[in-house]
Amino acid sequence: MTAPARPKPFLQPEYCKGCLRCVDACPKHCIEPGSEINPATGLIPVELHLDACNGCSLCMQACPEPFGLRPETERAHEDHSGRGDDFDLQDPAKLFGPKPRPSDPAADERDTVIAAPACEPLVLKGNYAAAIGALFAGCRHVFGYPITPSTEGAELMAKILPKLGGAFVQAVSETAAVNMMYGAGGAGVPCMTFTSGPGFSLMLEGVSYMIGAELPGVFVNVMRGGPGLGNLGPEQADIKLACRGLGHGNTHAIVLAPGTPQEMLDLTIDAFTLAFRYRSPVVILGDGYLGQMTGIVKLPETMLRRGKPSWSVCGDRDHRHNLISSIELLETDLEKRNEHLNRKYTAIARREQRADLYRCEDADVVIVACNTPARMAKGAVEVARAEGLKVGLFRPITLWPFPISALADLLPQTKRLIVVEAGPGQLEDELRLALSHAGFATPRIEHVRRHGGVLPSQREILNQLLGTPAASHA
Amino acid sequence: MSGVFYEKFERHAHGEGLKAHSTHYCPGCGHGVVHRDIADILKELDAQDRTIFISPVGCSVFAYYYFDTGNSQAAHGRAPAVALGHKLAAPDSLVISYQGDGDLASIGLAETISIAQMGVPLTVIFINNAIYGMTGGQLAPTSLTGQKTATSPDGRGRAHGQPLKMAELIAQLDGPIYVERVALYDAKNRVKARRAIKKALQNQLEGRGYSFIEVLSECPTHLKLSPVEAEKWVQENMEPVYPLGVKKDVSATTEPWFKGPRPSYEPEEVLGLAGAEPALAEKRRTEWPAHVAKRDLSFKFAGSGGDGAQTAALLLVRAAIELGYDATHIPAYGPESRGGTSYADVHIAATEVLNPAAPEPDVLVAFNAPSLTKFAHTVVPGGTILYDSTIVTVAPTDLPAGRHILGIPFTKIAADLGKPMVKNVVALGALQSATKLLPDDALIETLAHVLKDKAAVLPLNRSAYAAGLAAVTPATV
Repeated sequence: MTAPARPKPFLQPEYCKGCLRCVDACPKHCIEPGSEINPATGLIPVELHLDACNGCSLCMQACPEPFGLRPETERAHEDHSGRGDDFDLQDPAKLFGPKPRPSDPAADERDTVIAAPACEPLVLKGNYAAAIGALFAGCRHVFGYPITPSTEGAELMAKILPKLGGAFVQAVSETAAVNMMYGAGGAGVPCMTFTSGPGFSLMLEGVSYMIGAELPGVFVNVMRGGPGLGNLGPEQADIKLACRGLGHGNTHAIVLAPGTPQEMLDLTIDAFTLAFRYRSPVVILGDGYLGQMTGIVKLPETMLRRGKPSWSVCGDRDHRHNLISSIELLETDLEKRNEHLNRKYTAIARREQRADLYRCEDADVVIVACNTPARMAKGAVEVARAEGLKVGLFRPITLWPFPISALADLLPQTKRLIVVEAGPGQLEDELRLALSHAGFATPRIEHVRRHGGVLPSQREILNQLLGTPAASHA
Repeated sequence: MSGVFYEKFERHAHGEGLKAHSTHYCPGCGHGVVHRDIADILKELDAQDRTIFISPVGCSVFAYYYFDTGNSQAAHGRAPAVALGHKLAAPDSLVISYQGDGDLASIGLAETISIAQMGVPLTVIFINNAIYGMTGGQLAPTSLTGQKTATSPDGRGRAHGQPLKMAELIAQLDGPIYVERVALYDAKNRVKARRAIKKALQNQLEGRGYSFIEVLSECPTHLKLSPVEAEKWVQENMEPVYPLGVKKDVSATTEPWFKGPRPSYEPEEVLGLAGAEPALAEKRRTEWPAHVAKRDLSFKFAGSGGDGAQTAALLLVRAAIELGYDATHIPAYGPESRGGTSYADVHIAATEVLNPAAPEPDVLVAFNAPSLTKFAHTVVPGGTILYDSTIVTVAPTDLPAGRHILGIPFTKIAADLGKPMVKNVVALGALQSATKLLPDDALIETLAHVLKDKAAVLPLNRSAYAAGLAAVTPATV
């Protein structure tokens, strides 16, 4: 009798769960349900009687286990018979022979810095400025969903990216958009979105996953009036979301607060740098005025082409071993991962605090404000200085981490701290938390607040500074 | 073992004991069968290195334990979106979105349908076992009528809706090129399933398009049946509701088309698209006019949508910036896409605009009566109010004292030039004449610059501007 042309199956009993799919599959009735419990698994593996087997392989196609029924050719040459209770897992290399390793894990590909020719400054809306900044940062993948007052950024990207061999996708929802970012970020490319509060709320699921899986991506949230649908005016009421509520679990991300169209561009470029430096999303919080505001914008001198990171999942041999995931099924593993994230947050808090100080050197009254309200505050500082008041503006550029170190230097000379914001005190909460964590006794904090799409006016800030009674908001 | 599975499942409880070589799936589960099919086909197609396998949420959430390919684990229902992100970032990859019924047909329905309709080459493998597995046997969109589940203990009733036929639903879309439903309950069907999956992967590798393979699969555990009984249940109960076969196939007639994004990084190209212009050797710098005492002037332009208030405001800002000043513009509209109110706050400063809002403007340009009424009182004492006297035929009697108030017939002047639309340019001429903030030719130089691609309309705009300039005379001020 000649040997069969095709290999017969063999089975290591401990890899059989006894589901019996193969029993039906065998046209020659070579496989029977087993009768003995396997001591290693507690399951009852099938039994093979291969006299009639012609190697048709249907049983192997029916078997749901990767190491279940396999062709005889994969059986190791040594004899495994007679193993029972003393079953001991074999080294697969011994069982199946050495397997060719994929090439060594990839290294980070270097970024390329490309010089850009000198240009006249542009006159740009904040939203457009952020988009142009992203292009200079090497972003060629943008995923979005239209929402006022942020959409111009997406519209410009939709116009420009196809001409640059990039991709703009208008997703079916913000939920889909952020998950496209998860995919593109997971492939190691710079990607971004433009949104506003209601859309950002929807994206938070994905932001949490991106933080968990450690993926870069830039979120421009042009804040509008809330809660709910609210309105299209400027507000600063997503600060708590960006600083304290980025989806479920132990999440933080760097939050940048631009104050001018120029900063919309500059901070977007910085956001990509930070996103890749820390393998994390970065949030840019603008406000409705800033997104829509037109101003002078100087262009950067270089453009970046970002190299492929070593960890990316991008469909080639060198990166085949990589996994993008936020799962750690074993509690101790997840605890380790969270400790790793915490170390990252600590490093960010130490290294990345940024603030802009305006006339604070001799100030005994310090205004804390960010985004467009900081500009009203700046106007008020000038007027109050002319009145002889020693007032300065402390403008956090990173809202998380709050730039407490720079503020701490001012505290000894500060008699009054005034927080100016278009919202219910979320910036003040960040300030208070930062003071508390840094071990400062909280000084008395005054505030000027407007809500619902209204910004504090220069006059209101001035009234607070000079102690004149404020007119009602009639 | 095709070599597409890891030889040791290191990610499965650190590869300890049996978990190094055994899956986490229950005995008789269909997932393992499809896993083996995919692994064998990737081997046949020599596509292991190119593959990115998207694990969903559901029992196959841990598919990345097994496949020695690129792996990406997605949130519940979002696998197609994640797949698309990977595909657009790495267009030469082979991306498999592998999903169960709760994931694909329930929480991820919007992603499923919208990305299928996009038609970008992707392969979606949909494991339909008519029940939620990982969360413990709850009602799925695909559960059969009358089927008892943890969340339909009395059986799926009328108010639970009827089983969702995903393959038929997807086949109705124009995006997909290949949709087939297959099963695993016997050898013949397993051969067909394998063939379908292979074709779906080839369609992607060749750049032809999107394929969707629905696999009727067994969940013995939650059907509370033996694996063999579960196979029978799929055949006898599921198949009548979910008929097998090809639902759509235009693979052969769809030419390969997808090249995917291939980004370029040419600064000149970006600058061109952004409308940037080469730096000028000679900069036009103008000293802040001596007669303007303030170092920062604010303006309010107000009218109805279509009056051109925003355009005029932006021209003023651009002209100021081209002279070396700082300037800002903030628009405010009503919710109407056309019509409604339209206001603009503009600041021009010698060095830096501090506060860009203009609640108390130095200059108001009002195109209609409501705007004049609304903002006249906000103008600072000594400020200027310009309004369109063609539209506001009778000036309000209660305009504030101590402001320079000028009624200029913007609309009539524009209409006499043959184009009422240029009334905003007339207004700019009048504004320049009234304030003398910029050199007289600055605004029209900027306009010429902005209109460089529309030279035909420039003469009309020049005339409008000149007429606006002339309309304000020492006599009117």
